[in-house]
Amino acid sequence: MGIFKRLSWFFKQEKKSYLVGIGALIIVALLQLIPPRIIGIVVDEIEMGIITQESLLTWLLILASTAIGQYVLRYLWRVRIWGNAAKLEQIVRKQLFDHFTNMDNEFFQKYRTGDLMAHATNDLRGLRMVAGGGILTMADAISVGLTTLLAMIFIVDWRLTLLAIIPLPLLAMTSRVLGQKLHLRFRDAQAAFSHLNDKVQESIQGIKVIKTFGQEKEDIEQFSKQTDNVVEKNRSVYKIDSLFDPAITFIMGISYFLTILVGGWLISGGEISVGDFVTFINYIGMLVWPMFAIGRLFNIIERGSASYDRIENLLREETSIVERQGAIDRPVTGELSFELDSFSYPDEEGTTLKNIHFTLEAGGTLGVVGKTGAGKTTILKLLLREYDGYKGRIRYGGYDIRDYTLDALLKHIGYVPQDNYLFSDTIRENIRFADPSLSQEAVEAAAKLADIHEDILAMPNGYDTEVGERGVSLSGGQKQRISIARAILINPELMILDDSLSAVDAKTEESILSGLKELRRGQTTIIAAHRISSVMHAEEIIVVEDGEIVERGTHNSLLEQDGWYKDMYEQQQLVRELEGGEV
Amino acid sequence: MEQQELQKRRTIPFNEQMRILKRILTFASPYRNQFILAICFSVALAVTNAALPRIIQVFIDDHLTVGGVTIQTILFFASLHFGVTIVRMTVWYFELYIFNMASEKTVQNIRHQLFTKLHNLGMRFFDQTSTGWIITRATNDTEAMKDFWHVFLTIIQGVFGVIISLGAMFLLDVTVTLWILIFAPVLLLVIRFYQVYSSRTYHEMKSKLSLLNTKLAETINGMSVIQQFRQEKRLQKEFEETNQSYFNSRFSMVRINALLLSPVINMLYTLAVVLILALFGIDALTSPIEVGIIYAFTSYANDFFRPLTRLMDSLSLFQDGVVSSSRILTVMDNEEYVPEQEDDPEAQITNGKIEFKNVSFSYDDENYVLKDISFTVNPGETIALVGHTGSGKSSIINVLMRFYDFQKGEVLIDGQSIRSFPMRELRHRTGLVLQDSFLFYGTIKDNIRLMNQAITDREIIEAARFVQADQFIEELPGQYDARVVERGASFSSGQKQLISFASTIVRDPKILILDEATANIDTETESLIQEGLERMRQGRTTVAIAHRLSTIRDADQILVLDKGHIVERGTHDELIERGGSYRDMYELQNIGLQS
Repeated sequence: MGIFKRLSWFFKQEKKSYLVGIGALIIVALLQLIPPRIIGIVVDEIEMGIITQESLLTWLLILASTAIGQYVLRYLWRVRIWGNAAKLEQIVRKQLFDHFTNMDNEFFQKYRTGDLMAHATNDLRGLRMVAGGGILTMADAISVGLTTLLAMIFIVDWRLTLLAIIPLPLLAMTSRVLGQKLHLRFRDAQAAFSHLNDKVQESIQGIKVIKTFGQEKEDIEQFSKQTDNVVEKNRSVYKIDSLFDPAITFIMGISYFLTILVGGWLISGGEISVGDFVTFINYIGMLVWPMFAIGRLFNIIERGSASYDRIENLLREETSIVERQGAIDRPVTGELSFELDSFSYPDEEGTTLKNIHFTLEAGGTLGVVGKTGAGKTTILKLLLREYDGYKGRIRYGGYDIRDYTLDALLKHIGYVPQDNYLFSDTIRENIRFADPSLSQEAVEAAAKLADIHEDILAMPNGYDTEVGERGVSLSGGQKQRISIARAILINPELMILDDSLSAVDAKTEESILSGLKELRRGQTTIIAAHRISSVMHAEEIIVVEDGEIVERGTHNSLLEQDGWYKDMYEQQQLVRELEGGEV
Repeated sequence: MEQQELQKRRTIPFNEQMRILKRILTFASPYRNQFILAICFSVALAVTNAALPRIIQVFIDDHLTVGGVTIQTILFFASLHFGVTIVRMTVWYFELYIFNMASEKTVQNIRHQLFTKLHNLGMRFFDQTSTGWIITRATNDTEAMKDFWHVFLTIIQGVFGVIISLGAMFLLDVTVTLWILIFAPVLLLVIRFYQVYSSRTYHEMKSKLSLLNTKLAETINGMSVIQQFRQEKRLQKEFEETNQSYFNSRFSMVRINALLLSPVINMLYTLAVVLILALFGIDALTSPIEVGIIYAFTSYANDFFRPLTRLMDSLSLFQDGVVSSSRILTVMDNEEYVPEQEDDPEAQITNGKIEFKNVSFSYDDENYVLKDISFTVNPGETIALVGHTGSGKSSIINVLMRFYDFQKGEVLIDGQSIRSFPMRELRHRTGLVLQDSFLFYGTIKDNIRLMNQAITDREIIEAARFVQADQFIEELPGQYDARVVERGASFSSGQKQLISFASTIVRDPKILILDEATANIDTETESLIQEGLERMRQGRTTVAIAHRLSTIRDADQILVLDKGHIVERGTHDELIERGGSYRDMYELQNIGLQS
């Protein structure tokens, strides 16, 4: 029951709605008592021969009006209670979404997309069941159960009632016990099904290997074993699942047995009428659902509170990237000085970066080169405040970047990442991602600069072409250039290209870089790359290896140093000549 | 195919639905007897249902109202009622259990046939269809069939319930029963109404939910971009709109259900009771009647109306089932089979001589990717294929492995057409080592054995030793029984290569086809791999696609391919001397290796 308390914020918020719904539910419970009673009365009047046209008409009119009254009120409570349940789901989903957008990298490393999606779907469903089915069952069980019981006692006979309801608590117990058992077995069956899914996935992804070794027959046999397992696990589910209705029948059978026995006895003694007996039998039938539902209620609550636990755990997670109080709200500008002593990723052993020091004057360009995994991207991530826990300082315009607001820092950095993530939207919206109010002209200008405008025009719907899962698939180079356009569009104070030209050819790269140079005169740029040609014009170039700077200087001075940089440069020059020769 | 399916989802005409239904029902035919038995139990259940009110009616009319009942009579009727209840309980249990198991087995049958079908389809199908699409057909769509079958049970129960309760009413009083039939058209109208309104809203709700979840997943995946551009607020707002729109359609679904589902059925039932009481009451005004019948009739009316709520509720599941069925059938109807062999059961590969004679091959019958290719590899020799992406190297392997059929020319193995060998013989004598090694869930042993139970543990260890994979395997906890998880994520790409070498060599193929990895392999295993390759090639006819030319210097023959033609051929020394594109490539790589 604790879950109802924990959700009390919601119940309070929707107090009116719940009051109307539960009120309607209680009136329905009362109205429900009328038809069996009227049937009983009419039976008695007929049997005793005292029925008249007027009395029959009266009873029928009352009956018909309860039918219509019940309809209206049932409609009302259903809409209120199930509607509220949907609303709770909506509210908590929003809480989760907003929370996700505020979380840092560590959070997304800890919880993978699949986990988060599972919480946002299954656990929300569990919660919805509490706010809908849970509330409904509780109110229903209490109102219908109680009113019917009272009607049986006062309208018919208290002795008969006491005897007839003896077996009913068994209903609640049965549904509770069977429900728990079923849940466990169902989980096993789900697990078997997900193993089967894994098997299918593996076979399809590894189809070439299976074909290569000619093991189709054996693979089908393995698959059959898995489906056998699924069938067996489901068999044990059905063994329990098929028991629910029969068990209800049995327990009600005992009740009916007692009712006929004692009822017959009471009628023969003249203590109750035949009409009372008919009324009573109908009332007994009405008790089935509330009693059974009480058992179910426990299961709903159990699962719902487990779901809410998991959701609250997620919501309790905090981000490590926070704005200081009174943080500087002025956009970053000026000199960037990177004075890092050491940095290691949280929960990871060993240092990732060591002694990275450089100063980049306003308007300058820095090149960062090195092998994959040397630590280039990590340097840039620190600049973007993806991680704050490092030894040393990064200062922008003389202030620590951690002293700025996130808006003041990030809104003025245009970062083009290695993995170019595009959203399932039109190309236009992807380019003007940072500000959807920007005009088509602005979008096109950025696209032209990123050398992607012509490509876009050649697509089926131009700038309206959808990309992503449902839309056209773009080449790696096209994705990179769209990402560049996306960053250009915000005209950032600092632009960072993180190996973002790797998939475009040398000529395109050159035209993009020179275009950028023209546009960004006086603005600061950092280019990390594998290709030396991307960085050779930078004022300073650092070579990173194993998280440390091993060489630094201008292009010319680095060539004189005769180290890794020079080797790479010469090798790449040769490739270029060869590629050029072939075309 | 995926496009077609999207269109199909929108509207499936009635005739098409029936056709799909008929075909999907054939999968149930092995379990026909179980289904029939379950239906028999359904009838029995409906009969016991009808018997119970009748017992009480007789008890009232023949004994209670007559007066002077003995305790024996009371006990008799109570026990009779209880006895029938026990029968009803038993029948009900078996009906549910047998039906559910039969439908479970039917789903298993569909899965099995679908999976077998997939294995009979050629590489063309797998190259053209996305993996995700195929997997969803085999898992989610077959799982949806279970709900579909459950709808049948609901329909069967509902129909028999209605028929038998009507029959029981007829036995009691024909006139009143005929009057009750007035409700039939009203009910049909309600059902139709519900179906029209609910199916639209239901589908809208479902597609909005999937949109909602897609958006959520996409946001989580693209979070770093969102945070970097500080677009959190905007996306929160956008998501809230989607969230709200899902809530709205969910809410209208709640409204439709409240308006047209159980409340309306409940009202109709009560109105039916009004009618019953009116008819019997009017009769009673003139002449006395038996009152037990009134009880029995109100009870039957309940049986008549009760199943309808569930029936209507399951209509949408039925629609989903038809959609899933039609998608399963598209796979079943696919005809991109594995290339056909003109099986000569005697044909055997003994030496491993390979000849390509004027072979031309195209994936689409229009653009030829191999044009007039001829070459011969003698038993035990190595031929290397060199060229840029798209030059046709991989297509030669696709032809040689019979992943695709070729259009012109001849491919001979040991002088016989490649088409004459049984597929199994071909596969077992040719070992293909793929570029990126794919590891399956299981142990190292399982991955070397690859489902061939004839291979002993001893042979596995020997094979591993031969390719020198034993060194790292023996350092693993559990050694050959070490578990491979998540496609072998815990192994380096080099180690994975070595394992796949072992699984090739353990089968002792006559012909070896090597598709060399382009990706950089860790330096630790690099030398082991080179050595392994060399050892494997000993005594086997080898066709190798090479990216690093240093590895094929000792090949007996090197073919340089360009746009489907062989542009240069010869040994390494000959080609270097010629000074063509091979030499350029070689020099470039040499410099790369030195740095």
